[in-house]
Amino acid sequence: MATDTLKSTTGARGASGGLRRLLLDNGALTALIVLVVALSALSGNFLTTDNLLNIGVQAAVTAILAFGVTFVIVSAGIDLSVGSVAALSATVLAWSATEQGVPVALAVVLAVVVGIAAGLVNGVLIAYGKLPPFIATLAMLSVGRGLSLVISEGNPIAFPDSVSHLGDTLGNWLPVPVLVMIVMGLLAAFVLGRTYIGRSMYAIGGNEEAARLSGLRVSRQKLAIYAFSGLFAAVAGIVLASRLSSAQPQAANGYELDAIAAVVIGGASLAGGTGKASGTLIGALILAVLRNGLNLLNVSAFWQQVVIGVVIALAVLLDTVRRKAGATTTAASGLGLGGAGGKGRQAATYGLAAVVTVAVIGATSLLHNGGSSSTTPRVGLAISTLNNPFYVSLRAGAQAEAKKLGVDLTVTDAQNDASQQANQLQNFTSSGLDVIIVNAVDSDAVTPAAKAVNKTGTPLIAVDRSVNNADSASFVASDNVTGGKLAAKALAEKLGGSGRIVILQGQAGTSASRERGAGFAEGLKAYPGIKVVAEQPADWDRTKGLDAMTNLMQAHPDIDGVFAENDEMALGALKALGSKAGTSVQVIGFDGTADGLKAVEAGTLYASVAQQPTELGRIAVQNAVKAAADDKVAKSVMVPVKVVTKENVAGFGG
Amino acid sequence: MSNPDELLRIEGIRKTFPGVVALDGVDFDLRRGEVHVLLGENGAGKSTLIKMLSGAYTPDAGRILVGGEETRIHGAQDSERLGIATIYQEFNLVPDLTVAENIFLGRQPRRFGMIDRKKMEADAEVLLARVGVNVSPRARVRELGIARLQMVEIAKALSLNARVLIMDEPTAVLTSEEVDKLFSIVRKLREDGVGIVFITHHLEEIAALGDRVTVIRDGKSVGQVPAATPEDELVRLMVGRSIEQQYPRERADRGAALLSVEGLTRDGVFHDVSFEVHAGEVVGIAGLVGAGRTEVVRAVFGADPYDKGAVKVGGSALPKYDVNAAMTAGIGLIPEDRKGQGLVLDASVEENLGLVTLRSATRAGLVDLKGQREAAARIAGQLGVRMAGLGQHVRTLSGGNQQKVVIGKWLLADTKVLILDEPTRGIDVGAKVEIYQLINELTAAGAAVLMISSDLPEVLGMSDRVLVMAQGRIAGELSADEATQDAVMSLAVSTNTAQTEKEALRGH
Repeated sequence: MATDTLKSTTGARGASGGLRRLLLDNGALTALIVLVVALSALSGNFLTTDNLLNIGVQAAVTAILAFGVTFVIVSAGIDLSVGSVAALSATVLAWSATEQGVPVALAVVLAVVVGIAAGLVNGVLIAYGKLPPFIATLAMLSVGRGLSLVISEGNPIAFPDSVSHLGDTLGNWLPVPVLVMIVMGLLAAFVLGRTYIGRSMYAIGGNEEAARLSGLRVSRQKLAIYAFSGLFAAVAGIVLASRLSSAQPQAANGYELDAIAAVVIGGASLAGGTGKASGTLIGALILAVLRNGLNLLNVSAFWQQVVIGVVIALAVLLDTVRRKAGATTTAASGLGLGGAGGKGRQAATYGLAAVVTVAVIGATSLLHNGGSSSTTPRVGLAISTLNNPFYVSLRAGAQAEAKKLGVDLTVTDAQNDASQQANQLQNFTSSGLDVIIVNAVDSDAVTPAAKAVNKTGTPLIAVDRSVNNADSASFVASDNVTGGKLAAKALAEKLGGSGRIVILQGQAGTSASRERGAGFAEGLKAYPGIKVVAEQPADWDRTKGLDAMTNLMQAHPDIDGVFAENDEMALGALKALGSKAGTSVQVIGFDGTADGLKAVEAGTLYASVAQQPTELGRIAVQNAVKAAADDKVAKSVMVPVKVVTKENVAGFGG
Repeated sequence: MSNPDELLRIEGIRKTFPGVVALDGVDFDLRRGEVHVLLGENGAGKSTLIKMLSGAYTPDAGRILVGGEETRIHGAQDSERLGIATIYQEFNLVPDLTVAENIFLGRQPRRFGMIDRKKMEADAEVLLARVGVNVSPRARVRELGIARLQMVEIAKALSLNARVLIMDEPTAVLTSEEVDKLFSIVRKLREDGVGIVFITHHLEEIAALGDRVTVIRDGKSVGQVPAATPEDELVRLMVGRSIEQQYPRERADRGAALLSVEGLTRDGVFHDVSFEVHAGEVVGIAGLVGAGRTEVVRAVFGADPYDKGAVKVGGSALPKYDVNAAMTAGIGLIPEDRKGQGLVLDASVEENLGLVTLRSATRAGLVDLKGQREAAARIAGQLGVRMAGLGQHVRTLSGGNQQKVVIGKWLLADTKVLILDEPTRGIDVGAKVEIYQLINELTAAGAAVLMISSDLPEVLGMSDRVLVMAQGRIAGELSADEATQDAVMSLAVSTNTAQTEKEALRGH
């Protein structure tokens, strides 16, 4: 607020200098404008009303979370739990309304109350338990995520329709999330600027002891501050889930870091005492503009993360440099002094702005895969995650096929985040692609975005995971359920129909985990002699697989077999089993990745249920090209899965 | 051309900050083996000047000559290379490292790439002996008192072979014994040929220690005089006018007891402290640093808990450890640590002034910002806070003006019992008198004032009664007539030793 008052005194000096002053005073705004100008120049699809509204929608969830985090950061705290609390609130809403039959209005209230309660718990731990905010909210991050998995039993829950309208568009152009973002932003600005608690946040963040000795009830205020953060997180969670029409227990994973980045880019200091809602909004917009622009420019998914990191650092650097000289420039010119110093600083600011531009343009043009000619069909491929060799192979198959057919292929990576994927699909439609291939993060959560694609008439191809409740021209997948059954059969027969086994599950709540698990259970029914003694999640991850297996061996030293729902976890289990692997304990994996097949060849992994990811990618692109040309496409293509053992491994090159 | 004894010369230095010309045409020089006192009101530009020498700021115009050669000092490394060491009021020590580690921080002697602790501690021992302080090189800095911290800082400066030693108000936080000790160290350094720039607000120290005095006023050097110059003349140079009376206490009529403290005890800190403060009265609390004065007033204000006793305002007892109850009853505290506890440094003057009244200015959760601004403008005008505007950050105000803001926020809250803990520490003569006038106005209006001060002439000059504390107890009470420096000191020290002997007996 201090900056506000300063600005109002200098602002009176005339409107012409006003804009320049505003830009100099706010490095983040300058960075945002530079970004927008650069992206408009680089992509013709960027500066359209539709796309700008898309950016608004894509910024909404981060911005709402970040408004709540602004309160906390201004008061010199930190809140790492907002992402989990958002997911928990949304899950509570969906669970109570859809599964428990609670009236929707009451369910919404319940969700908000859950958010506030989580915030209050944080507040109590911090204000009265004297825990460092970092630790208290880190604990809540884990508890919140865990509770939402417990409540949902790991499954996405359909969101009540009446609440899902929050993800809709009003009058065919105004998206409701943008409206909610604006309302919450105004509320945050009002709280920070005008209310007792808001003013207390600045005082507590600036000097907690001075605030206490001036009669502010610091502990009580902290409770309220974290409760506010929880409230905003709950709203963000509801908006997020309504966009996906489904509450995902794994939603908003890692969003706390985006929110914190938005707040800091917006000019707040982690040391407390400064920060504004407007700055936070700008910070959230910078992140959204970047993601959107990089999608439109077809920058490689891996480089996108690099560019985003660099821009975050530059935006804050710009602001720091400005601030260092900072207050100086404002006041000096206000009194007509220090002109020379002012100019130097301006030069520094413009210099940095130029660096940001060059960095972005350089990165994008470097990575831009040639021009897009209008004769070849343009295809977008939205992949769920490239953090997994399976999908990297899928992408490779798609790219090879695209090259062969002369198709311009854009690939995005949603990092297993359904909301991010919705953004990417939106960006695909904005840039007017001819066909869109989607490898859904979640079959239900992708529905609203898929429906939006249907509305534009662009054909949609689903690969690996289906798209529920929306039209897809073709579904290309390998059969996970069958694969699970095959795994059960192979393992049971290897063990001679009797034995004790454990199951390492994939990330709770993902469809692949559900389907493979279900298929495996189904397949085991034929072998009553096989007993499953434990099932533990290891999140598709090799390290977690190793840890989980180590623990399971402590509890069950006498097991005969392991079914891991993917190869990565199986490889982790092999490490844990050591010399037992392939001798006294038989392990079966799933996917047939290169590493997995090597282990099969070496005899440590008994078998892997091999999918053919490159084949999936190849067929998806083939079908996409057919669909673009309005040719007839098979509605469903099942790419066969095969149990690969040492006997037939030679045939699978990967 | 240059005098071989001249270590440092500054000519026509100019430095501007937003809204302020901090220095404009300052000349200064320092010779080998002299103590050159830099005198000036707070905000006159002394700190800016020494920051030029330590490399924190670079001048906009003018020349700095070190050993006769013009130099530019761009950072701490430059000034270190030139043999200039600065001891700031806020020490630059790492609390959790040992004394030896702090002295050689960043320059630890090494053997085979490992820190050679033995050599480092031996070297530190030599330096500490040279400073004449009895502290182990292996002691953690956190465990040391302020006086010893200062000695460690000096030892650190010596380890850098400093030829120029700048000391920014080194005596502000020391007791008179510690000051004597410091002086003897400074004299020894002077004999060794070190040139010392000494900043102080205590005029009597100038004659005792200094050789020459440069007076700075409003960013200009207004004169260089010998240290023997009479104090009146120094004050006149410093404030540009003569100050009639240093302690202009005007007695008001003594009314009913507003604050009564009965048998207040916190185990191991203070014991059985009882006193009353009446309306219209200034009660001073004197005593050595560490006698428990600050602890008592913080407990009275509810900032810290206590074990036994009672605090009553207007006859009704206050709940313990409850700042808000104390405030509601009309008690206000100007804390000892102005920057750490009194102010939100990066907030504006307006926000700081409105801090105490924030709650009462709130209706239905909304703060009456307009009312707050008007009140802040009124009180800032009344107190004569010198600032660029209400939006100026408090950090950039001078010490005296910062203190006015702290006092102002309590005046806005209609405080009836104002507790001042070291209200004029680090504040120049002119601003001090303004604060004394304010105390007069408060008591004339029927408020009660309780004032802690380590500045004995101030306690004696301003108090109607003086309580002397020693070892956590009230050692005695003196009326204004009885209170002399000797009487106060004998109380402060006698109880002190008696107590120590008793403890010693118990301990062995």
